[in-house]
Amino acid sequence: MDTISDHLLIFKTDIDSFCTNCQVHKALNDHPSIWEWSIDTQDEDCVLRVVSPSLTPKMVISLVNACGHKCAEL
Amino acid sequence: MRTRDTDKEKLVIEKAIELIVADGIQAFSMNKLAKACNISVATLYIYYKDKDDLIIKIGREVGDSFFKRAVIDFSSEMSFKDGLWRQWQNRAAYAMEYPTEVKLFEAMKHTPYGESIMRSEGHLYFKEQLENFTKNAIRNNELIELPLDVFWSVAYGPLYTMLNFHREGKALGGRPFTLTQDKIKTAFEMVLKALTP
Repeated sequence: MDTISDHLLIFKTDIDSFCTNCQVHKALNDHPSIWEWSIDTQDEDCVLRVVSPSLTPKMVISLVNACGHKCAEL
Repeated sequence: MRTRDTDKEKLVIEKAIELIVADGIQAFSMNKLAKACNISVATLYIYYKDKDDLIIKIGREVGDSFFKRAVIDFSSEMSFKDGLWRQWQNRAAYAMEYPTEVKLFEAMKHTPYGESIMRSEGHLYFKEQLENFTKNAIRNNELIELPLDVFWSVAYGPLYTMLNFHREGKALGGRPFTLTQDKIKTAFEMVLKALTP
């Protein structure tokens, strides 16, 4: 069975705060291949969690980098 | 592909409860939890979105285990004496068997996460059963009608006070204390006297 964890990508970032107007929020929210995402801004690694059926870790890293943030796969 | 492992999930829950009880919710972090479980932080994020998500899910799970246990062999149709006694027995058994979970309730009670315990699946049934039980008891003239908080304090306060003494191993003045069925029974009889018309 296909589950969310089959399509889960997890990254360390420097996004310690964001809002609905932030570039990174818009980029992740508007991406057609991202089903679900969240950032744990309380965590020291500011962990980004992305659920996507088709994106690779590299593609997510580029997307976040393009918004001016650091991003590395955990 | 990132796989879920049920044993690992159990370990995560167990360690999270231990850490929250030992250090408090503020000091608790996903990194500390990962270290305590000897797993990578990334693994934790397979199970939970963030710290909030983890604490809420654990609160619900622990709440559920308590509320399901509290209604074992209990029915809202029981006489007030039998039903309240069953509640005392179930609650005491839970507190004795799961002291760490009880401490977690205490740690979460006065935080925004406290609500998550009440939103557990088992709570709704528990609440309904207990409400009907007290309504029936009042209707059958077995219980004096009191404001809810006053009723709760009298009905369960003595039990929880003694359970706390037991957990700490000492009572007033630091005297050693062990809770026995005799002590529970004596306090229960006093409570019954106070609440019965």
